[in-house]
Amino acid sequence: MTKTFARAAAVGAAALLLASCGERPDEGAGATPGATGGAAEEKFSACMVLDVGGVDDRSFNQSSWAGLQAAQKANPDIEISHVPSTDDAAYVPNLQAQVSKGCNTVIAVGGLMTDAVEEVATANPDQQFAQIDAAPAADNVYGMQFNTAEGGFLAGYLSAGMTKTGKVGTWGGLNIPPVTAYMDGFWEGVQHHNKEKGTDVQVLGWDETTQQGSFSEDFLDQAKGRSITETLISQGADIVLPVAGQSGLGAGAAAEAAKAEGKDVKLIWVDTDGCESAAQYCPFFLTSVTKNLSGAVEEYTTAAAGGEFPEGQYLGTLENEGTGIAPFHEFDSQVPAELKADLDKVKAGIIDGSITITSQSQPKE
Amino acid sequence: MSARPAGAATEPVGPADGPVVPEMVPSHQHVDAPPPPGRRLAGAGVLAVAGLACILGWGLGAGERAEAGFRVAGDTGAFTLPVPGTPIALGVAVLLVAAWQAVRGFPRRWAPFVVAFAAVCFVVSFLCWAQSGAAGAGVDITRILRASVFLATPLILGALAGVLCERSGVVNVAIEGQMLLGAFAGAVGASLAASLGVGVVAAVVAGALMGVLLALFALKYRVDQVILGVVLNALALGLTGWAYEALLQRDPQRYNSPNGFLQPIAIPLLSDIPVLGPLLFNQNIIVYLMFALIVVVDVVLFRTRWGLRTRAVGEHPKAAATVGIRVLRVRWVNVIAGGALAGLAGAFLSIGTIGTFTDNMSAGKGFIALAAVIFGRWSPRGATAAALLFGFATALQQLVGTLQTPVPVPSSLLAMLPYLVTVFAVAGLVGRVRPPAASNQPYPAR
Repeated sequence: MTKTFARAAAVGAAALLLASCGERPDEGAGATPGATGGAAEEKFSACMVLDVGGVDDRSFNQSSWAGLQAAQKANPDIEISHVPSTDDAAYVPNLQAQVSKGCNTVIAVGGLMTDAVEEVATANPDQQFAQIDAAPAADNVYGMQFNTAEGGFLAGYLSAGMTKTGKVGTWGGLNIPPVTAYMDGFWEGVQHHNKEKGTDVQVLGWDETTQQGSFSEDFLDQAKGRSITETLISQGADIVLPVAGQSGLGAGAAAEAAKAEGKDVKLIWVDTDGCESAAQYCPFFLTSVTKNLSGAVEEYTTAAAGGEFPEGQYLGTLENEGTGIAPFHEFDSQVPAELKADLDKVKAGIIDGSITITSQSQPKE
Repeated sequence: MSARPAGAATEPVGPADGPVVPEMVPSHQHVDAPPPPGRRLAGAGVLAVAGLACILGWGLGAGERAEAGFRVAGDTGAFTLPVPGTPIALGVAVLLVAAWQAVRGFPRRWAPFVVAFAAVCFVVSFLCWAQSGAAGAGVDITRILRASVFLATPLILGALAGVLCERSGVVNVAIEGQMLLGAFAGAVGASLAASLGVGVVAAVVAGALMGVLLALFALKYRVDQVILGVVLNALALGLTGWAYEALLQRDPQRYNSPNGFLQPIAIPLLSDIPVLGPLLFNQNIIVYLMFALIVVVDVVLFRTRWGLRTRAVGEHPKAAATVGIRVLRVRWVNVIAGGALAGLAGAFLSIGTIGTFTDNMSAGKGFIALAAVIFGRWSPRGATAAALLFGFATALQQLVGTLQTPVPVPSSLLAMLPYLVTVFAVAGLVGRVRPPAASNQPYPAR
């Protein structure tokens, strides 16, 4: 029995070793400041804690990391590193590890991390933090938020003008404000089009008034994303906006499967321009609701490396191009010129305040 | 030796079928006793609750819209049912069945039909209620059944893997890891060879290799099989996670770009049959393989000499050995075959569903498959039924998310539905289960 156990333990140890190999490249990417001697003291280290989905989720993790990379490119004295979070239990240990590592600033990606950031930031009042998708949780945290309801509004207006079935759909990863801000905006944009143009376009998968809709309860599982999108298509939607990080990529497979059945389905990607981040599905992307994460992260990091930690928070809007809609790419010729002109008017209306967005999920100033 | 004679072997053991293990001969006393009153009344109670839920919840709780739309397939065969009339009528029907059960009791062999009747009434009533909030396109019946099969496919294949292993006396907790490695090998193989077919083969081989590891440590080195399974899952997760970052993310064009995903292949004529056509005869190659494998595993396990040996080895390896069965050899083959099946399930996840591999994409499906093995009482048919039930409940949950129900249902609550349905169905229908007696018992025992 002892022998069996010893063998089991050996296998376990081997497996754990191998498993830990999977994490190594990430941790290795960030040099420990101070460890290399005098020269390192002049370096500024910015460490990023990613949410689940990995650094290449074609969505918010990827976009945030791109901002950090851009900051390093502009200023080689900035040392950057990132750690992935495997699940929400990893947030606190990950943040704590960055603090112990001696990072000059720790950037937490994702609103789900808010409680964890508050906990770690309060325990380490001298450490500078930045957090994406949440208001500052403590004095030493800089918040970066994006009013994606504004970008979503444009996407909704566009979809209502482009749908052939009179039904458009959206679904999210979780019913949380950073996700539902997009969906609220999309819903309001469709209602605005209905009011202005006398159309009767229906939104499937989300209703702002009840705050209920379709959610995959997951930001990873693409199979779920595919089958939820197919459900919306079967209910008549011909334009779908998935707001679910990597899980949303399943919508691409759903659109491809629908095409094989002779249905014309368009998608709207979020966070980044889908035609760049998930190019294989570009033929289906009508547009993308962008969230200028990389710009905000780059700006913050550059300022912080210059010795000035910004205070308070940044709010991305249509006006400062923190959010918006991406080019139409392959659909450019199909979007009528009149609709394009209307979109510009709607955009101007949101910026000057003549169109108000009522979403309760949009971040506040 | 903890293995004990099987109280009730699922299949009669005939002398012509192979060597008879004396200890395993069940006592052939079939007594068709009426169900005990307690059990009868409990069944009636559950039926009554379902009936009342239809009337009070789905009927009287319905929204303002007085009809619910259904479609047989796509845009064809549309019909509407009156609301709240339909839920109330169906609820009354279920109550009548409950009353009969309480007074006279249905014979045991009727139980599946009674349960199926009540379940269909309940689901139809629920869908009437769910659509009574706002006008919609109507429920596409074929589509929801097709989605159920689609969602159940990896679970069924994984569960078959579990059945093969456990019937031979090896607990396979590593289904999850086998699936994950299969999904990985499927995507990488298909990318490197630029052929989805090669991907499927690569996935099966990768799953089988994981099976070899399981067999090596469980059978040769007699490691505790549950712990071993957990470790193998960690191994697969670490290995694929590392390779994903080191290779697939660095050069996705080369390693993670299969040419799309497996498209459904319509069988001429048969695929035109309403409902059944799209369900059974217009699927991708892995789903067809799954249909065949359910039959093959069932026949092999219960109708062949090999199956009898497998079950004997799983129940009482020592007895099997005394009549000349090579216990370890039987186990090795079953464990490797199981791994191959789980690898095929993995191929369905990557190149069968979305076309690329992503980190940890099995996302717990291997564990649901393991649960289906137990819920299905270690039989291929039972496991298939359990997996299909889970798939159907998931499809229903996703559908309801797109409807504007009269009373908003939080999506997180809806997300529990598949698990809840499965647990209740198992508690109510399956009852106490008995695993193969020798599962997780090393052989030879020390």
